[in-house]
Order: sequence, then C-alpha cells, then structure tokens
Amino acid sequence: MAGKTSVLEDGTLVSRVDRALYKLETFLALICGLAVFGLMILAVISVGGRNFFSSPLPGYVDWIEQLMPLIAFIGIAYVQRDGGHIRMDIVVSYLKGRALWLAEIVSVLMMLILMILLVWGTWSHFERSFDFAAPLWSTDSSIDIYLPIWPAKLLAPIAFSVLCLRLVVQLWGYTRAFVLGLDQPAAVPMVEDAATQAAKEADSLLSRAKD
Amino acid sequence: TEWNVSVWGKRRAFTEHVEKLAELVSEKTNGEFTFNISYGGLSNNRENLDGISIGAFEMAQFCAGYHRDKNPSITVLELPFLGVETLEDERRISQAIYEHPAVIEDLARWNAVLLMPSPLPQYNFVGVGEAPETLAEFEGLSVRATGGIGAAMETVGAVPTSMSATEVRQALDSGVVKAVSFAPHAHMSFGTVESGTWWTTNLNPGTVNCPVVVNSDALDALSDEHREALMGSIDEALDHYIDYYENNTMKAWGPLLEEKEIQQVTFSDAEIAAFREAAAAPAAQAWIEENNARGLPGQELFDLVTSLVAEE
Amino acid sequence: MDATDIGLIVSGGMLVMVILGMRVGFAAAMAGVVGLIWIFWARFGYDPSRFDQAIVVAVKTAGQVPHSKVSSQALSLIPTFILIGYLAYYAGLTKALFEAAKRWVAWVPGGLAVSTVFATAGFAAVSGASVATSAVFARIAIPEMLKIGYDKRFAAGVVAAGGTLASLIPPSAILVIYSIIVEQDVGKLLLAGFIPGVFSAIVYAILIVGLALALPNFGPPVKGFTWGQRFSSLLPAFPIFFVVVIILFFVYNPIPQTITLFGAEIDTIIGGDAWGTPTEGGALGAFVVFIMAVWRGMRWPELKSALLETAKLTVMIFTIIWGVLIYVRFLGFADLPNAFSDWITSLEYSPMLILIMILLAYAVLGMFMDAIGMLLLTLPVVYPAVMALNGGEFVSAADSTFGMSGPMCAIWFGILVVKMAEFCLITPPIGLNCFVVAGVRDDLSVQDVFKGVTPFFIADGITIALLVSFPMIVLWLPSQV
Ligand code: NA
Ligand code: NA
Repeated sequence: MAGKTSVLEDGTLVSRVDRALYKLETFLALICGLAVFGLMILAVISVGGRNFFSSPLPGYVDWIEQLMPLIAFIGIAYVQRDGGHIRMDIVVSYLKGRALWLAEIVSVLMMLILMILLVWGTWSHFERSFDFAAPLWSTDSSIDIYLPIWPAKLLAPIAFSVLCLRLVVQLWGYTRAFVLGLDQPAAVPMVEDAATQAAKEADSLLSRAKD
Repeated sequence: TEWNVSVWGKRRAFTEHVEKLAELVSEKTNGEFTFNISYGGLSNNRENLDGISIGAFEMAQFCAGYHRDKNPSITVLELPFLGVETLEDERRISQAIYEHPAVIEDLARWNAVLLMPSPLPQYNFVGVGEAPETLAEFEGLSVRATGGIGAAMETVGAVPTSMSATEVRQALDSGVVKAVSFAPHAHMSFGTVESGTWWTTNLNPGTVNCPVVVNSDALDALSDEHREALMGSIDEALDHYIDYYENNTMKAWGPLLEEKEIQQVTFSDAEIAAFREAAAAPAAQAWIEENNARGLPGQELFDLVTSLVAEE
Repeated sequence: MDATDIGLIVSGGMLVMVILGMRVGFAAAMAGVVGLIWIFWARFGYDPSRFDQAIVVAVKTAGQVPHSKVSSQALSLIPTFILIGYLAYYAGLTKALFEAAKRWVAWVPGGLAVSTVFATAGFAAVSGASVATSAVFARIAIPEMLKIGYDKRFAAGVVAAGGTLASLIPPSAILVIYSIIVEQDVGKLLLAGFIPGVFSAIVYAILIVGLALALPNFGPPVKGFTWGQRFSSLLPAFPIFFVVVIILFFVYNPIPQTITLFGAEIDTIIGGDAWGTPTEGGALGAFVVFIMAVWRGMRWPELKSALLETAKLTVMIFTIIWGVLIYVRFLGFADLPNAFSDWITSLEYSPMLILIMILLAYAVLGMFMDAIGMLLLTLPVVYPAVMALNGGEFVSAADSTFGMSGPMCAIWFGILVVKMAEFCLITPPIGLNCFVVAGVRDDLSVQDVFKGVTPFFIADGITIALLVSFPMIVLWLPSQV
C-alpha cells in the first residue's frame, strides 16, 4: 500500500542527497499527475468533437498511446522513495535491526541489478525507433497520424535511470544502518506493520478530504 | 532445429501459409526442422520486427501499415487504388517488390529477410449505425483504416482512427470508430460482423501488405538441406493460402452477410470513379516525395508497381 | 530440461521472492528476465560462449515490454478511474451520499447500518478503490452509528465490508486490469460488475435487517424525515447519478434508437449506439466531478495533492502491470499456460469442482496477498486453464461445459475472482479494509474490526455461491449489449 511517507530526515549527507533527489522525483510525479489530467481533457475534447461537431479528434488513439508511458513510468522513483511499491511484508515485518537491514540490502540490490538491465533493454527499444538520419529522427511511427514513437520510448530508460539513482541512495542508507547498527536510519522508508501503514494511508486520505 | 514463429490473433485464413509452411518443412526434413507457431505469446503484433531484429524469434508476420517508419519501402503496396484485382496478382506483385534492392536494404535494418507475402483482397468497410448511401456521408465518420486506405478515406472527410486488429472489435462496439476496413477473413475473425449493420461491396480502396519475414542470421545458420526445405516450400504454402482464401473464406462471406442480415451498400460507378480520381494520384505523389526524402527510390518503386499491375 | 520445467522453476522462484518481501512488480520482472535468459541459453544448447548472447537477447526482449504494453488505450482507464475517486473527496460527495442514504432508508430495522451500505455502494460508483472507500466512511458513518447505540465492532464491520463494493460497481480499476490480462471487452466486464455489486449490497442489507430483528439492543431505526428533506438531500449527491449515467451510456446505451408510440416510429435523440468508450466515459465523469470540486472550493494546492496521489497509485499499479507482463512474455516462450491448462483439463474431477477449488485457492492466497498483485500473478496461467475447462476461448454456449460461450465465461470468471479478491480484503490475517478502519478509529483494534465483520463473511459466502450457481446474475446485463 502507498502509505504516507515514513522516511526520516536529518543532517547527514545521505539524507541531504535523499531530499535533493526527492525534489526531482516529486516534480516528475507531478508531471505524471498532470498527464492524467491531460488524458481527461483529451477525452472531453474527443467526445465533444465527435458527438457535437461531428469531427472526431484525428489521431486520438495515437495521442493516448503517447501519453501513457508518461503516466506509467515517470513517477516510479517517487513511489519507491516512500516505500510505496506493493510488497508482501509478513516475513520482513518479523525482522529487526541488522537482520532487517540485511534483508532490505539484498532486496534493493536485486532491484538495482534488474533496473540496470532494464535501462539497457528499454534504451535499446528506444534506439531501434530512433535514427538521426531519418525524417523526424523516426524509424517507428504511430498508426494514423505517424507520430514518431521515440520520445515515448525514451521515457522508460529515463524514468528507470532515476529509479536506479533512488535505489543507490537506499542501498547507501540501508548499508549505513547495517554497519552502524542504527534503529531509525534516515533516507530509507521504514518497515511498518500493515496496520500502522493502513492507518497512515487512511489519515492521508482524510487529511485531504474536506469533510 | 526449432524455429519460434510470432503471429497474432487466432489461426485463420491469414495465417494458413505459415501453418502450411510448418507442415511442409517438417515433412521434408523428417521432423528435424520444425516451427513453433505462437499466436501472440512472443510479441505484440506491432513489435514483431523488433523481435526479429533482436533475434528473439526466427520468423514473424507483420503489417506494413502498423508502423510506416519501420518499413517505408513496402508501404508502396498499400497505396490506394493501385488496381490490383486478384490474390494471384497481389502475390506476384508483392514478391517482385520484395526482390527490389532498396526494399531488401530497408528490411535488412531489422535483420529481416522477406520470405513471402500474405496476399489480401481489397478492403471494404463494415460499419454500425446508419449506412452511408453516398461517399459524402463518410464525412466526419471515424473509421479504422490504416496506411493508404486511411489516406484515401481522408479525401472524403472520414477521420482515420486506428488500432491493432486485436483491439478493433472493442473500438467498434464502444463507438471509437463507426466503420472498420478489413479484408473479409478479418471481418470474420475479429468479430466486426457480429456488431456491424452494413458492408460496402465495391469501395475497394486498396489493401494492406503483411509479409512474413525471417531473421537473416537464423536463415544463414540453416543447413543447406533445411534451407532448401524452407525456400522450396514457399510456393506450395502460398498456393494453399490462396486456395484456402478463395474457396473457404470468400465462399463463406456472402452467405454470412445474409445470415447476419448485414445491409450491403453499393456505390455507383461514377462515384467510385470520382473517389479514385480524388484519392489515387495525390496519395501516390505524396508517397513518392516522402520516400525520396528518406533516400529511397520512391518514383522507381512506384513505377515498378504500376508496370507490374499493367502486365497481366 | 524442457521449457515447461524452466517455466515452473522460475515461477516457483518468483513466489519465493514475493514471500520474502521483494516488491511484487520487480519480483515478477526479475523472474521474467532470468527466465528469458535461461530459455534463450537453453536454445543455444547451454554453450558457455553464447551465454552473453542469451543475456543480450533476453534483456532486449524484456526491454520492449514496458513501453509496448503500457501504450494502450484500454489501460488509460486506470488513471482516470483513480483520479475520479480522489476528486470526489474535494467535491464533498461522501457526506452528501451518507446524508441522502440516511434520509431514505434509515427507517428500516438496523437503518443506519443499511444506510452505510447503500452510501458506500453509491460512492463505489465514483471510486475505483475499496480501501479508500472504507477509510472515508469510517470517519463519517461510525460516529453516527455509535451515537444511537450500535455495537462499535459491528459498526466498524459494516464500513469495512461496504468498502469492498467499490471494486465491483464500476468504475473499477481491478476489473480493468482483469480485462487487460485476459484480453476481453472491458466495457462488458464493467457492465457485468454492476448487478453483482448491487446484489452484494442488497445481501449485506438483508443480513443487517435480519440481525437487527433477531438481536436485542441493536441500533434502532431512524425515522421522521419528511419527503421534502429526502428529495432535498438528493441534490448534493447529484453528481454521483450523473457520473453513473455517463459511464453507463458510454459503455452501453440502454435506450433504443427508435421507439414505437401509438403505432408511430419515433427517433429517440439519445438512443442508439453507445456514446463512446469506457475510457471516455470515465474521463467525462472525472471532468464533471472536477468541475464540482472546483465549485466546492478546490484550488491548486488541493488539485496538486490529488494529482500526486493519483500519480502514486497509478504508477504503483502500472509497475506491477509491466513487471508481470515481462514475466508473462517469458511464460509465452516457456509455453507454460498451455501446459497448465492441458493438466487442468486432464484432471478427472468435474469441471465445476475444479472451478470451486480454484476459487478456494484464491481465498487462501488472498488471505496473504494484495488483490491486484494476486490477480496479476496468477491469471496468466489460471485464466487459460479455466477457459479450456469451459471448452476453449471461442466455444459456443451449446458446446461448453458451464453453459456459456467463451467470452461470457471470461466475464463470469472475472467477476467471481474479483469478488473473491474483495472478500479477502475483510478476512484475517491480512484484511486491508479492516486495518484501515481500525487505523482511523483509535478506540478500535484490528481484532475488533475482524470480529465485527464476521457476519459479512456469511453474506459474501452466500453471494459467491449464488453467483456460481446462477451465472445469469452476472451475465444478464452484458448479454443485453
Ligand atoms: Na467502483
Ligand atoms: Na485477507
């Protein structure tokens, strides 16, 4: 579940790096939210155009397909920062102290290896659709209005690279906690039992609800 | 040797040559060289060329109109109103174009070697809602029409709104598009006839070109015997395909339209002639200029097609 | 070792990673990449000099999936459905709904609890997520119930159970995900969720009325609202009806194009084809709620936080989606789904018994897992098996095992598994809705909520049994399209 943030902040270097990166991540997440908003507006225009003016929006599907990667990827590091990606923590929640930090180190390290591979894989997917010599640098285009697809494809390796940076920061934070034997390390999301996490989730919803 | 083959949808007339090829090759090599044909499990249909280029699978089918920029050279075969009438002609012309050096080079960027076409008859529309009585009534209609057919439909004011074949039924049911252009087999296999209420019998704006390709490294790696078994089976596979299309699909098509009580819309000769007049030459001109700009011999490819159409 | 064995080993490895706490989407993607490397290397005959080539092909194959799979018009429903729910808070729709439900139905025995159930059902029509629904109503409905003497555990149980309705009644993010995985018509699935959702709400209500009649000192009915008060309560809740109507008309237009009146055929203006796609309906609904929220005083800071919350939930869901789809791509190369459905159809039990076993397996798995993760991880293998059990994806109703065509079976099974997944939100030990309710109320422990929600297990059990025995409850509405 996406609980409210439980990342401690202090004056240590790792925490300062964490906060700097968090600014970038928040900015990217906001772009993602605005893209969702844009999707809504696009649909309103499309429906209006088709039903009231008998002029469907040319390339409506093409544009949606261009927007989706922006929505799906660009906030991925933001979610990881707060520990928001879904996991099953019944085993992890029994661990304490160094054992816990070790488990987190292993888990984050595996994610980092995976994401480095996927930066490579998604970059090569982008590269196949891109050629400086081609018109619009495009070697792969959308179906109706021939939009170049490379910008949308490029979003994946960009977002995944930011996630790699985030994972490096978390690896640093957990390693520091492991070496120093910390209880409450900065810059990493704290493991909470599901009930506490759900309570925070509920609070975050309610603090925003007007009534 | 086992080759993975990536196609999509379900087994239908459109994939019969691949199925037949698999059968023939396995027979000729006593089961030493087989195909594992996967309907959608190995790749998205719009990424089949990517998969070939990577070497994820050895053989694949795709349609040129799904991604013009990936395969500009063969989109010449999708231009509207080329005047191709039979599946045999479609096969002959496609095969000749596939041998042009510029086309070979275009596909070589993807490590792909063109093996054979999937000849399709002229496309026509199945639609929902009120049937258009004249071409002018296509004005403002969102239609699924890729490549040159889409360009042609734009000249009568329709708005091309396309998606992969597998998503078409949903789009038609939900009103994203009001009419869908397909060859008859696809109207049957992607279910447009289930919800459609009308069908254009003689619009015939063109067709799409969907080749079967193989990965060039995999082809090179074949033993002489296996390669001979593969290349030597293409003609028979295509014969089977065309026979199947004409004798199973086309014979089922008319009765199916009757059974589903789909209104058949026929436009007057004068109207079709005017449509051709308005759509054919500008689309061809635009195609030639665009592809010259890409460094392809646009005029030469177009002239080759028209001369091939002329020699019956 | 053949491809199927590789498929089984890697899938087992993935489950271990998930249980040990690796984030679900990444565990699935990891399994997919490792599995692809293994498959390709096996194709190269485990030649050590070609191991690096196997890695290159596998990584590039996996690298196509994120972009290629998320660039889909159908998936664009998910962010819109999430946005609409967040905007609804700012539009003041929750309180309006509860007030309207109270004035209309609180006069029955157990009235306030029944009102809560119907208010959550109404909120379900703008919310795509169960947990959010429970969280909001815990704050609004529980205090009112306590005021007039309800048992606090039961009051909490009502809210926890009512929240689960959000995933059946459209819009529903989880139904969209199901339709993407199984490649079925999302509009029909959303439509299919409507009656089972309302049906669940009615079963809950009947249960509450029954308990109120049977038990002494249950909460008293709340009477004395005038018809004027009742109708005036509808106005603030009006956007909900508007959104329901919009989504309905965009999925399926219930009004015929022409009606015959006194022997004359008259064209209806709004009848005929559906107005557009579910995507467009969701977006238009969101737009209406957005206007309402602005009117109720939402400004940039609130909008910004709604957008950030939408982004967070959307990205979380999409990460699981593409992660799992990398694993699914590997399954395609390993041909595991075919092998599994061959195995299932070769079992010598009755197909209905096998189906019930599958649903029970989901109940057990759901005790420990998140609903979306559970469906995404299991459906690629389980769904083809269920379809094979029924006689194949393209089977006609007459030739099928369960008496329904392939596409209808896909819809029926979808509603069943989503209902199972929702059931798991209120069962111990991991029942997120119960955690949320306990979290909102300081005076309630998680155990209290689990106790209070127990009667609803019976209600859900009855609902699921009825949906299994009478598929028409699910299939009637979508078969009208
Ligand atoms: Na809902
Ligand atoms: Na549970």
